[in-house]
Amino acid sequence: MTKEEKFVELIQNNQGLIFKITTVYTTNKTDQQDLYQDIVYQLWKSFDGFKNQSKISTWMYRVALNTALTRLKKKIKAPKSIAIEKVVLQQTENYDPVFEERLKMVYAQIQQLNVLEKALMLLLLEGKQYDEIAEIVGITASNVGTKISRIKQKMKNNILNK
Amino acid sequence: MDIEEMQAIWSQIGQDLEKQKKITNTLVMKMTQERYANKFSKLATYETLGAFICFITALVILLNFNKLDTWYLVLCGALLTGYFITLPALVLKSLYTIKAIKIDVTSYAVTVKKYVKAKNKLMLVQQLGVYLNFVALLLVIPVFSKLFKNKDVFVTPNTIWYWLLPVLVILMVLVSRWGYNCYKKITNSAENLLKELEDIEV
Repeated sequence: MTKEEKFVELIQNNQGLIFKITTVYTTNKTDQQDLYQDIVYQLWKSFDGFKNQSKISTWMYRVALNTALTRLKKKIKAPKSIAIEKVVLQQTENYDPVFEERLKMVYAQIQQLNVLEKALMLLLLEGKQYDEIAEIVGITASNVGTKISRIKQKMKNNILNK
Repeated sequence: MDIEEMQAIWSQIGQDLEKQKKITNTLVMKMTQERYANKFSKLATYETLGAFICFITALVILLNFNKLDTWYLVLCGALLTGYFITLPALVLKSLYTIKAIKIDVTSYAVTVKKYVKAKNKLMLVQQLGVYLNFVALLLVIPVFSKLFKNKDVFVTPNTIWYWLLPVLVILMVLVSRWGYNCYKKITNSAENLLKELEDIEV
């Protein structure tokens, strides 16, 4: 298998991961497509450097989150992005309006968090353990615990204030 | 909605995404094309071009430096040459520092710190540039009048500057205010990022 084939397979198997990150860190479809492309590009650029020292998903989260973060601060006129909505961002065949409504609520909750909290929340929702979150984000596991408690409290307060 | 409930919905999205059509091989490889490149590359290209023009201007002044025949013109020429060499060099250095940050080898927290530090440095240089532009504007008039028209504006003032200078100053004030506001906006968001990390051991 060539390097390109390996990479394509990796992206195909993890397109959901990239999609979720782009949804959390953008507010419109154009930005989302742009960030999606940016993450794929950065993953390709650092693909050679991946040494199997960590899990592939840890490496992917790290690159994707860092890309989302640095991109947030650039805000420079974006080059034309490749349309990906027809292959990745489409609705599923079993469209459920109730689920859609609940999903919107989840996104609305996450959108109220700051950049770092979004990353922690995203990883928590992905079912990652504190140790792995710590490795991806670069803080201690105990710090992850503290921050997640604060996030939970913040979200509870947001709901109560509504 | 509690965390457990959110996790259940989140995993449902994951399952739905799995069922979706896979992104094509061609599309994945298209996204990796160098032409997309880092957005800072574009900015760096413009800045490099600007720096090149500044360096050429500095060279022109240096090659004609002997035409500056009084101490004050020599001083103006020397300061202006320093401005045309130092400022673009500092901007380029700061830009390339940001470009050089490798996002795959460090963790999120380390990247934030490196990024904010580099960004603040770039903004500081750009803010310095705003002030120095005013000084340069005042220096350009006597130096270029002498070099290209052989006139010492301190001895024989040219009436054109009576109206052109205020217009240029107003223009520069407007541009500087806009630049300063951009600077404030970016540094404020950078400070917020640092606040998020202040209780984190990296």
